[in-house]
Amino acid sequence: MTIKKYAIATLVLVVFLAAFIPFASSSPDGLETVVSSLGVQPQIIWQGFMSDYSVSALGSGYVTTLLAGFFGVVFVLTATLALGKAITKKSQGGSEKP
Amino acid sequence: MHISDGYIDPATAVVMFAVSIAFLALAWKKVKADYPQSFVALLAISSAFVFSAQMINFQIMPGTSGHLVGATFLAVLLGPYAGMLSMTIILLMQAFFFADGGILAFGANVFNMAIIGVSSYFVIKLLTRNNKSPTRFASSLFAASWLSVVLGSLAAALEMSFSPAYASAGGITVIVPAMLFYHVLIGLGEGAITMTLVMSLQRLQPAIMSSLTIMKGKIK
Repeated sequence: MTIKKYAIATLVLVVFLAAFIPFASSSPDGLETVVSSLGVQPQIIWQGFMSDYSVSALGSGYVTTLLAGFFGVVFVLTATLALGKAITKKSQGGSEKP
Repeated sequence: MHISDGYIDPATAVVMFAVSIAFLALAWKKVKADYPQSFVALLAISSAFVFSAQMINFQIMPGTSGHLVGATFLAVLLGPYAGMLSMTIILLMQAFFFADGGILAFGANVFNMAIIGVSSYFVIKLLTRNNKSPTRFASSLFAASWLSVVLGSLAAALEMSFSPAYASAGGITVIVPAMLFYHVLIGLGEGAITMTLVMSLQRLQPAIMSSLTIMKGKIK
């Protein structure tokens, strides 16, 4: 039941990404524009696994960005579920009532 | 608004790590054992949504784009402290898996987007203190979202201005106005999207919205 709920949420978000990725701007964001106009370059000390939201084995483009988005959604869901577990009240299921 | 490695000085990066860790520790203390089990789904799904929405850059002018930060949205839904932790997780995943935002610059990014971002919660509370009408709530959402992006960009600009890399280009006197110029516009997008999302949620899911602390009198 719970797993099904998160599977549906993932699916909905992938559909959202599938619909909006074609309209996303590929221009640099405000901060990137400012930094590059001032002639400062990033220093790559960590490449990540899917740098720039693309799975390098698949090149760049719509499908690979969508796939990276899918992985990102799964990672964020998993990590925030762990956070949620950590911050909720422990007394669940009714058996621990005084 | 993610700072990559090399954009700020290592010393600034270390200081920002220390500042952000202090805020995160406070947030952790505030949220621990404070939420019902039913909160977990809202936390996870809204965080995953914000991650997705951040991938969709919108054009603000030829050659420059912006994207939602989403911290105001999360602060409204989750409260400021859980919102701060949620936003930090999103930034961590972006830096670790997607190299979006630097590793050394992570503390600075948490400060600029997660910590300044969720301060919107208190701005909204302040703006809606004497007036709980939907119009006032919507305009407060817009204003607070806009302000959080502008203040975040100001913080990023100040952090970068400590780096000698910008000295020859004019340093702080050039970075601050340039960052504010773009983020005043990007903030309008943040405001419009956040306001639309929250007001739609209020129409479609009034039960979720009425249970939120921001809709009640007391600031948690």
